Amino acid sequence: MTSPHRDHSAWPARRSLGVLCGVAMLAAAGAAAAAALTFVLPPLVQPASTEHHPGKVIWADLVTSDIAGAKQFYGKLFGWTFNDVHAGNSDYSVALLDGSPVGGLFQRTMRPGEQRQPAWLTFISVRDVAAARRNILAHGGKALAPTRSYPDRGRQAVFADPQGAVFAVLQSSSGDPQDVLAAPGEWIWSSVLTRDPDTDAAFYQNVFGYEVFELPSNDGSKHVLLATDDYARASLNALPADAAKRHPHWLNFVRVDSATDTAARAEALGGHVLVKPFTDRHGGLIAVVADPAGAPFGLMEWTDTDSKQGAK
Amino acid sequence: MKSLLQRCSMRGLLVVVFAAAAGCVAGGGYDGGVEVGYGVDYYEPFGYEYGGWGPGYGVGPPRRGFDRGRGDGHGAPHPAYRPAAPSRSMPSLPTRSRGR
Repeated sequence: MTSPHRDHSAWPARRSLGVLCGVAMLAAAGAAAAAALTFVLPPLVQPASTEHHPGKVIWADLVTSDIAGAKQFYGKLFGWTFNDVHAGNSDYSVALLDGSPVGGLFQRTMRPGEQRQPAWLTFISVRDVAAARRNILAHGGKALAPTRSYPDRGRQAVFADPQGAVFAVLQSSSGDPQDVLAAPGEWIWSSVLTRDPDTDAAFYQNVFGYEVFELPSNDGSKHVLLATDDYARASLNALPADAAKRHPHWLNFVRVDSATDTAARAEALGGHVLVKPFTDRHGGLIAVVADPAGAPFGLMEWTDTDSKQGAK
Repeated sequence: MKSLLQRCSMRGLLVVVFAAAAGCVAGGGYDGGVEVGYGVDYYEPFGYEYGGWGPGYGVGPPRRGFDRGRGDGHGAPHPAYRPAAPSRSMPSLPTRSRGR
């Protein structure tokens, strides 16, 4: 004969077991939902490689309040196509040129009354985000966001240099893009416009190990070149004399066949010309334009004649 | 014996619950967790001007073979950075095309 006492004690246990089962199923469902919402970004390099070029600009993300307008604009201007990524509350689109990723567009809706400047965020290659973070903070930089990990993309974090120019570092899990000459429609160059190129050059040299070369200028202001692996990676330029009206920033340039034509097309598509095409030190034309939402970027001609001179 | 089994089952379930809950947290966490959204939402400050470069304002890279002597020596005598060794030639962009 079984004890009635034992039978009674089993009921609460069974009820607890049932409740726990329910909680477990809910938790499992939550985990599955989170997995479904995971923000999956494509790898930078396919197939993955072990190639790394610390200090090289390897990616750019546009933060904009109008991702649909941006897709229209950049699609028509450079022939980019787009792959949308939706997860949680985030709208992101990967821009592609001939099927290869060239950048990302991120929708960041502004709150009512908020006035912010849409911009392209520059990503610099690092081998180790944690080490880069320590280094950046030790040399006067500021962390703007915690390190974030994306399954195929890698680990990234956003910082400001001591002058306030915002940039990101990316530890790509698929390796870095090869050192090849950018095709028209791809990013080819980057510049930091800053109030104090000397101090900023020291910061970037300490953080990324750049070689620093001084560049001549005809306007009397300081310009230096940052290089790694024997390749020019970026320039550091003193902001124009009326620097009070200007904020230090990174500026990325897309290679174009004609800066004049592309600047005119940008204007026809609703953009603005910020710097009219002019002949730069390499002999090609450079211009700076803004997309319809106001995000500035550069246009740069780089002819085959340029690239064949003194080929390595 | 049955009670022991029930206790074991409940402990097992508790482990599952905590593991699943931890999975949910990691799904939205930082630094090691996997992201469920995109954390890059930094606009530049508003109200500043861009461009405004005057004549002679060069931002692009020099061509390969550019004479370094035209640049060095025009800035501060003791810059905050370590200038590249004088023997180093001025770098330029890669020359090889992807060929896609």
